[in-house]
Amino acid sequence: MNFYQAQDNARRKTGQLVLLFFAAVVTLVILTNILVVFIYMFTAQGSVGMTRGFSETLATLPAENWILISTGVIGIIALASGFKFLSLRGGGRTIAEALGGQLLNPQTATGSQQRLLNVVEEMAIASGISVPPVYLIPEPSINAFAAGFSPDDAVIGINQGTLDLLNREELQGVVAHEFSHILNGDTRINLRLIAILHGILFIGMIGYGIMRTGGFSRRNGLPVAAMGLGLLVVGYGGTFFGNLIKAAVSRQREFLADASAVQFTRNPDGIANALKKIGGATYGSFIENSEAEQASHMFFGAAAKKFAGSMFATHPPLDARISAINPNWDGQYEIPDMPVNSTSRQTATSSVGIAGFAQMTPDSIAESVGRPDTDSLEEARQVIASTPDMLLDAAHDSFDARALIYAMLISTERDIAAAQIQHLAQHADAGVAKQTGSLLEAVANLSAERKLMLLEISIPALKALSKPQYKRFMNNTASLITADKQVDVLEWVLHRVLIKDLYGHFEGPQQYHGRVKNLRKYTADVVTVLSIIASHGHTEVADQIASFESACATLNIDGVFEKQAHFNFERLNESLGRLRKLTPLAKPELIKACAISAEFDGEISDTEYALLQGISVTLDCPLPARLDPQTR
Amino acid sequence: MEFIIFLVIIAALGFWAVSIYNKLVTLKNRYENGFAQIEVQLKRRYDLIPNLVETAKGYLSHERETLEAVIAARNQAMAGLQAAAADPGNASAIKDLASAEGLLGNAMGRLNVVMEAYPDLKANQNMMQLTEELTTTENKVSFARQGYNDQVTDYNTYKQTFPPVLFAGMFGHATDAELLEFEDSEQIQQAPQVSFN
Repeated sequence: MNFYQAQDNARRKTGQLVLLFFAAVVTLVILTNILVVFIYMFTAQGSVGMTRGFSETLATLPAENWILISTGVIGIIALASGFKFLSLRGGGRTIAEALGGQLLNPQTATGSQQRLLNVVEEMAIASGISVPPVYLIPEPSINAFAAGFSPDDAVIGINQGTLDLLNREELQGVVAHEFSHILNGDTRINLRLIAILHGILFIGMIGYGIMRTGGFSRRNGLPVAAMGLGLLVVGYGGTFFGNLIKAAVSRQREFLADASAVQFTRNPDGIANALKKIGGATYGSFIENSEAEQASHMFFGAAAKKFAGSMFATHPPLDARISAINPNWDGQYEIPDMPVNSTSRQTATSSVGIAGFAQMTPDSIAESVGRPDTDSLEEARQVIASTPDMLLDAAHDSFDARALIYAMLISTERDIAAAQIQHLAQHADAGVAKQTGSLLEAVANLSAERKLMLLEISIPALKALSKPQYKRFMNNTASLITADKQVDVLEWVLHRVLIKDLYGHFEGPQQYHGRVKNLRKYTADVVTVLSIIASHGHTEVADQIASFESACATLNIDGVFEKQAHFNFERLNESLGRLRKLTPLAKPELIKACAISAEFDGEISDTEYALLQGISVTLDCPLPARLDPQTR
Repeated sequence: MEFIIFLVIIAALGFWAVSIYNKLVTLKNRYENGFAQIEVQLKRRYDLIPNLVETAKGYLSHERETLEAVIAARNQAMAGLQAAAADPGNASAIKDLASAEGLLGNAMGRLNVVMEAYPDLKANQNMMQLTEELTTTENKVSFARQGYNDQVTDYNTYKQTFPPVLFAGMFGHATDAELLEFEDSEQIQQAPQVSFN
């Protein structure tokens, strides 16, 4: 399944989820009403000493009761879900923090932690999303999770046990599984699921509270306690439905994520062995933290022991998962011991022949969105390894990462560069201007692709800034970009990627994918985007027109080429802003058309590819970097 | 059925309190993570200082006291850092660290003044490199400290605003977190000015 299909499925799944949720709420409302009738029945019996049947009691109760009870129940569920949803608005990191996660810092990470960060980095670069922050969960079992509304605010959490007990290959399988949850849009569903279930579960919690307190009050003690007990039963009934929904949604997606992990790494052994080790490990995959219960469906393996194997299980049985990956499995689990850890990047595999990007076609570009494979993983590993340590170290440090980004934006023209450095000396923190200067030379030699890769690697360090520091950083980048009174293509792309990734973290996740199915609704915007690509991809006017027309032809739209004298980023931003409202299924067509226009002269230049990346990032379709370890 | 209305109001209040509680926990987590950043840089600084002293020793044989004072102050600051890192929420540990850092800053300042009198030492390649690294680390410390202080301020401000102020004490967030201020951080960054006329 490709990225767009998976994203669309995830969206539709959310729709189904909402339906199931409403069904559960309606059931709960009916149950509560029936319960109230019963309470009336029995209390009436107790005080008056008269026996009345269910239907008689039903008839005597006024209609307002129904309305009140129903709105009460719905109101409480809505309130509880609403509050939970608000508290999750911070994105993936709120979950990691609630589970006691500790943010891993590349500067202090050693041994297995460093290896984990390397694996995550390679996977992110290969799939074209920014590197997610990694949290370490202090639990001895083998488990992991991914959380977030979109790749922009996604985080990955890994148990200490996973680090201690898995080797690199297995770890890669687990990380690939988590990445596929992020790329398939599962993490978004999972967060919504938590909020929704919270509402239903809460009814039961109130019931419990009322039962405890109500039972002690002198007047109305019995009916209040009975009401509480009833609500408790209703609430747990709700949780029953909730867990059923959760399990149904989750189990299916686990199989899918396992399959995607195999697809990403082309290595069924990694993930299969990781699962076998869960089967053989003392602590399995169970999590002790009580907060884990509500997030149980987000984990790699089953987090809760109690429902394992039943219809409430959030995860399919291990046996079924292993057999799905490896049909010839002999049924033996593996008892993990501490593997010998090698931390260097180069040791894992020998260099395989890299598929050069000469064969890149518009089809393959549109398909590569959000889908890393072994080749791109291997390429990412080698490209990272061939990047100067000085630059990688800078990308991993909050202080230096800013200098690194500033250095990418410093002009090659001497006067402008001097003014830019001057600006930094005045407006950035002490030492940043100097640090920028010292990185300048190394950065100047980098290709556009490498710059983008380093930008994605520095995202976790930049996410560690405080909000005032982030604001200052964004102001300074804007000043540097506009220092020469114009914005070029690469500056625009860097800024887009930066804004997209950091906005989701600091300001809260943005709306992600729209619902508009028909690309032709935005013909004017498509024409603008294609005109900009054609104008900046080709020098001859005849080529520009011809490439524009061939792109329009694939989309079946009539458009008139608008020659762009200079790079008009404002128009591009406006048009892309509207095109974001497309459904994921309408996007590959558009990206393919953009690629056709760029590829018209038989090759895609660095600028053209960067422009494609900037456009697809803005459309929430992560286009992996085109990396070649041979070039800098 | 005022009872149901009552129930909904109670529920809303409950959620409200829970959301305040969660927000407090999150903000506390954030500033503690912020402290981890300072810790990295301060540790680096404390690792550099003995090297610097070792290099200076050969030239400053008559200034043993100054050198010893630097090492003593450095060790004290190191202990202060360990105590503070164990519990960044402990205001007195943070204050101790700040004052130990202040002493270290003074000792380093005196060392700088002394070194001015030894042009050979200042020209020493190793020394120049160490001084350079130390300056970079100072910058990083002050940057990380700024980030930490921003997060502490967020936490303290939230805790003192109207609704949370009622609950903060009850939820175990009674005391404000302490800002990490180094009295003479300005001095550390500026080379001391010595005139010889």
